[in-house]
Amino acid sequence: MADIATTIQTPHAAPATWEPRIIGFLCYWCSYTGADSAGTARMKYPPNVDIVKVLCSGRIDPELITTAFANGADGVMVLGCHIGDCHYITGNHKTMVRMPLLRRVLEDMGIEPERLRNEWVSAAEGEKFSRLVAEITEQVRELGPLNWPQLMHDRGVGHGADLRPWGE
Amino acid sequence: MSENSARTQGSGNGGGEELRIGVFVCHCGGNISDVVDVQRVAEEIGRLPGVVFSTTHMFICSDPGQVLIEQKIKELNLNRVIVAACSPSLHELTFRRALARAGLNQYLYEHTNIREQDSWVVVDKEQATQKAIRLISASVARVSHLVPLQKRAIPIHPSALVIGGGIAGLTAARYLANRGIEVTLIESSPFLGGRMPRLAGLFPTGRQARELLRPVMDAVINNPKITTYTNAELIQSTGFIGDFRTTVRLHPRGVEPDVPNVQAAIDVCPEQTDDEHNFEFTKRKAIYLPYEGCYPPYPAIDWKRCTKCGRCVEVVGGKGINLAEEPRDIEIQSGVIVIAVGLELYRPRWGEYGFGQLREVITLAQLQRLIDPEGPTGGKLLIAGKPVRSIGFMHCVGSMQRKEIHPPMPDGKINDYCSRVCCTASLHAETELKARYPDLHVYDFHEDIRTYGRWHEDYYIRASEQGVAFIRFNPLKPPRVEPDPRAEAPLVVRTVDRLTFGEELEVPLDALVLATGLVARNMSRLVDLFRCSVGPDRFLLEVHPKLRPVELASFGLFLAGSVQGPMDTVESTAGAAAAASKAAGLISQRHMELDPFIAKVTEELCSGCRICLFVCPFDAISRDNKKGVAVINEAVCTGCGTCVATCPCNAITQFGFNDEQVKSEILALLGRLPAAVAA
Repeated sequence: MADIATTIQTPHAAPATWEPRIIGFLCYWCSYTGADSAGTARMKYPPNVDIVKVLCSGRIDPELITTAFANGADGVMVLGCHIGDCHYITGNHKTMVRMPLLRRVLEDMGIEPERLRNEWVSAAEGEKFSRLVAEITEQVRELGPLNWPQLMHDRGVGHGADLRPWGE
Repeated sequence: MSENSARTQGSGNGGGEELRIGVFVCHCGGNISDVVDVQRVAEEIGRLPGVVFSTTHMFICSDPGQVLIEQKIKELNLNRVIVAACSPSLHELTFRRALARAGLNQYLYEHTNIREQDSWVVVDKEQATQKAIRLISASVARVSHLVPLQKRAIPIHPSALVIGGGIAGLTAARYLANRGIEVTLIESSPFLGGRMPRLAGLFPTGRQARELLRPVMDAVINNPKITTYTNAELIQSTGFIGDFRTTVRLHPRGVEPDVPNVQAAIDVCPEQTDDEHNFEFTKRKAIYLPYEGCYPPYPAIDWKRCTKCGRCVEVVGGKGINLAEEPRDIEIQSGVIVIAVGLELYRPRWGEYGFGQLREVITLAQLQRLIDPEGPTGGKLLIAGKPVRSIGFMHCVGSMQRKEIHPPMPDGKINDYCSRVCCTASLHAETELKARYPDLHVYDFHEDIRTYGRWHEDYYIRASEQGVAFIRFNPLKPPRVEPDPRAEAPLVVRTVDRLTFGEELEVPLDALVLATGLVARNMSRLVDLFRCSVGPDRFLLEVHPKLRPVELASFGLFLAGSVQGPMDTVESTAGAAAAASKAAGLISQRHMELDPFIAKVTEELCSGCRICLFVCPFDAISRDNKKGVAVINEAVCTGCGTCVATCPCNAITQFGFNDEQVKSEILALLGRLPAAVAA
């Protein structure tokens, strides 16, 4: 196993090959289907957002988002049904309240709040989905790599994330 | 492939066994393989720990493809399967079934979307291939945490509760009972039939509404499978699909059937009030029958008006009329509930187009009573007591409102939607009047005419041929209605006609009919009880307008008729029939199978803090006060996972989406890959 610490880049010094890594949490009923309709319409967008499917955006525990940041994500996108259209009636209402709170917590932890984006995408809004992906990719590219584990280590706070590769 | 050995991570059954993952990467006939190097993907994935078989296939959803999956499961003893292909919405179920056929639990499957979310949207081939590898490795990470799951089977009591005794409720009850289902029909007013008995001839056939309603009502009354309660108030509803328990308060009717000389009791009543059946054109007593041929066919007492003077009791000799009866509560058990409470008519504001100010301004519903042969004028067109030589119709009163000119309703909204039925109903009334009184001058003031339904356009054509004058106004500058200053006619309508390119018109009229729109009833109690979704137009919202058009998000609840939005009788009965057949289909299965992705409380971790009780959108969680822990009702839980994200003790997990499963996926996507690839 390679020494993980040597593979971590210093913050804000993006190498030429660096690409933003963004995790997109999508609810299955609206946003995931919206992403599918972007695909069906062959809309092209950057490959930097990897989708994690959940049944409702209300399931997205802030802990899942911090897990992503702690493990090397440069940005996180949380998409749900439009308010009033939730398959589970009010699941997205909780997301709507949680995300601004989480953004404040992230800010305190040294993560730019712009790295977390929360939007509503309906099943028909493929165009909106592809636009959002392009927007957050550009936004995160401007901000540069996050490297949160290293950041915390340098400041001597927290115990950092468990950096052992999966499966060991 | 000994270096690929790994163990399943799942807690519970299946945990700790050797992980044997089979991965099938689909070409989709080039849809994927033209962009993604599927061969390389399959090779790289094949090196991950736990993956014992990894291959590509031209069309894995084809029969040979599915057979291959089944074969490999048996041959290699696979215990997890991943198919990387199109969106799971297309074929997830297909492959789950293939697993089941091969004897493997269908939930040990993961579908990776590398078409809609990769090959169709990523331009660069190398990037697309990398993304496919990331996505599939996330699936590999995820499947190691999967555990076998079983669908939940909820038994369904073969009975239905229909709320609302209008045409939609009657139709739904009748069709359900025809399928042998025990039906309870509750109606809040003392008589069945809803709004329909107040209408005259109905488009598109022109037949009388009561004549059409009669056989539907007879079918309900004479069906032994249907129990009907009038004067019934919805109090409480608990339970869930298959076993709803609804408490209904039965208010006394006051009058028993077959009381001899009951007409004398009506005649002797000293109380008088506006008759809602005739839209306030006439008066009725506090003990009353709304119309000839109503059901139940004997009078009821209007408790709001009755002073309990006792004269009616005296007249009938003290028997059959009881003014002291108390309401009683009953509990109704039902497997499903059909909501058919209908809608209301928009009531114009005082002064809107002169309504309330001028006696000659009436609503279309009132006109319907006047042209009804059994109406207050015996079918004669008498408005404010006078015969009519010229009449105007004003469209879109209370519908298609603009925020620029219309004050908001008490809830801050405006009725910006089309009420659909009023255009054709107006045109129908115009043709009816023209046929009866060829000399009558009829003017039609509209901003737009929408005769959208089958045969509706015929009324427009007929009205044009009969000489109805159509005047089109600008919706932002609606016509003004004033008393005629020259007193040639009671009122005058001033407007600018768009059809003649802005000609200013002054139309003197004997009467003006407002085609009032349709609005949702105040259903706050119902919405609270059944956790209904409400649309911006205040009508109840179905799960999906095309895919599940008559169902509510809570299982076992159906919508029938105009509770969903403005509908004419044709559409209401169609909606009610659809709701009845969906409900009957559900009941005939005896059990409902539900996805197993529900939440579960780990009692040892639960602190009993109750936060989950408040966030659950379906009231599926209660608290066991003896144990001090949260309890999730499996039949009510829909698996949104909101409580899972909320629980401060991590005491709630969700089957299929627990923290380990989702986190392993996140880690794999971020390159925390199995050692074989990371090296």
